[in-house]
Amino acid sequence: MKSVALVALWCAASGVLARAELHTIPVTPASAEGALDPSSPMWKTATPVSLGLQRTPLLYPTDQPAALDITSVQVQLLRASGHVWVRLEWQDKSRNSAELPEAKRAWQGGHLVAQSEATDRFSDACAVMLPATTGASEVFPALQMGDAAHPVQIYFWDATRGTAVMEAKGRETTHRTGKKFPSQSVWKEGKWMVTLELPEFAAGTPLAVALWNGDQQDRDGRKYFSVWYKTQ
Amino acid sequence: MSIHQISMVLDLNKCLGCQTCTMACKKLWTDGDGMDYMYWNNVETRPGQGYPRNWDKIGGGFENGRLRPSDIPTKEDYGQTFEYNYSERLFEGGLQAMPHQEVRNTPNWDEDVGSLMLGENYYFYLPRICNHCTNPACLAACPRNAIYKREEDGIVLVDQERCEGYRYCMRACPYKKIYFNELLGKAQKCIFCYPRIEKGEVNACAKQCPGRLRFVGYLDDPNSAVHKLVHVYKVALGLFPEKGTGPNVFYVPPFNPPRKGNYGKSILEDPRMPIDYLVYLFGEQVTDVIRRLEGELQKAQNGGSSEVLQLLIGRDASVRYQIPKREELIHIQGAKKA
Ligand code: SF4
Ligand code: SF4
Repeated sequence: MKSVALVALWCAASGVLARAELHTIPVTPASAEGALDPSSPMWKTATPVSLGLQRTPLLYPTDQPAALDITSVQVQLLRASGHVWVRLEWQDKSRNSAELPEAKRAWQGGHLVAQSEATDRFSDACAVMLPATTGASEVFPALQMGDAAHPVQIYFWDATRGTAVMEAKGRETTHRTGKKFPSQSVWKEGKWMVTLELPEFAAGTPLAVALWNGDQQDRDGRKYFSVWYKTQ
Repeated sequence: MSIHQISMVLDLNKCLGCQTCTMACKKLWTDGDGMDYMYWNNVETRPGQGYPRNWDKIGGGFENGRLRPSDIPTKEDYGQTFEYNYSERLFEGGLQAMPHQEVRNTPNWDEDVGSLMLGENYYFYLPRICNHCTNPACLAACPRNAIYKREEDGIVLVDQERCEGYRYCMRACPYKKIYFNELLGKAQKCIFCYPRIEKGEVNACAKQCPGRLRFVGYLDDPNSAVHKLVHVYKVALGLFPEKGTGPNVFYVPPFNPPRKGNYGKSILEDPRMPIDYLVYLFGEQVTDVIRRLEGELQKAQNGGSSEVLQLLIGRDASVRYQIPKREELIHIQGAKKA
């Protein structure tokens, strides 16, 4: 049921873009203290780079087309020993996140069942993708979740469900590792500001960003994506 | 496609609309957190909007081999889950027990609102579970390969580990029989009571049914009641065959007596239930099925005996259910299974 032709087109297009890509994202040294707070003045010292976004083509014939409502994401990087903090900032006029009661019981017993409030809402989310083995590299893994020879790691943040570290070596191979990582987020005046705390990686490591807009029913491969960038 | 297929046949002429099956299922499988609105087994009044509201018109299924678009039903489409002001009524002098919120929809709304059609009163109950389809649209739509159909019995399950809650399956299922547990972020659905089936025990909904209208067994077991009703006597049909999923739950259509006590006339000539409506639900074949059932009825009324009607009476569990235990299954199903 997947649109093979579209996907092939997309691969070709992103391949070209990846080769043409010259941008790098500077990494600013910082103290570990407070870097996780997206409103911290520390972030004023980190040079922002705006990454252009595209939407993935419709993967399923039943998908409704989606407009390019978000055209770019601003990325900043801070480094201190042991960590790199990534701060993402993007325009999103609707905040799609929910505070869910914890699911504690698989059966009712004596307590009142915690309800599912909605069945049809999706969350805003973002992710940073790095090669599984970080370090300076001239080779970018395939944008579609890497490939067999170039696996990737994904630091995924979801406005409702929090963070998850994932691994993949190609499309449809993505899986959760069970690990989480620290993050903080603020949504203010039509803007998401999210910081992710990643393990330190060396200069020259490629990095790509993806965004999901809950309002557009984004999830899975239905998303916004940047091409690979190099970190300085 | 699975090697073997377990199946259920429901005789709609016998359903009381008591919802015992619904409760049996709810207490056994869907009384956990996030499952409040889910009825893996539901019973809806027909004609009517059904559960979730207008599920038969939302979309899904296949068209020319491709998945058809569909929306995701909203929580209100499934029906609200509300509490009553019992303590106010009982202890604070309240006049009436009322729900805490305005009620706009419930899982069987048509039963709750009713409507009077003078001289034209007809309705029947349609109990529904997942159809454990031969060609499941839910499975075809899942990009995570989280949905699988078991080879040994054709039961369709969602791997709760692999599921990421994307809900492509909810859109794809033309019967809207996959639900979303928002608290867990997982799709959940009828599991055909597989832990019971594996032990040779029938599904909870069938076990509890006072109408004794459910038949359960392997479609490919020539000795099973389901095989006979579907393939030999040909008196049971799947719901909405044109949706292209090959449902494995079958219904004996309602063939109520003619209106106004007009015996002697054919049910098809003077139907109580508009035949168009039955064709809408079960396809063109429904008229043949009703003709066949009517023939059997006449046979019995003329003093003869009808094997089909005897079977449909379903006197006891051994008549209705043929569910070999796993170990026995290997013998019955032969080397292919082993
Ligand atoms: S009824 Fe729906 S959920 Fe069940 S197997 Fe068929 S398509 Fe899947
Ligand atoms: S328990 Fe049986 S009779 Fe009662 S509603 Fe369910 S199917 Fe109908």
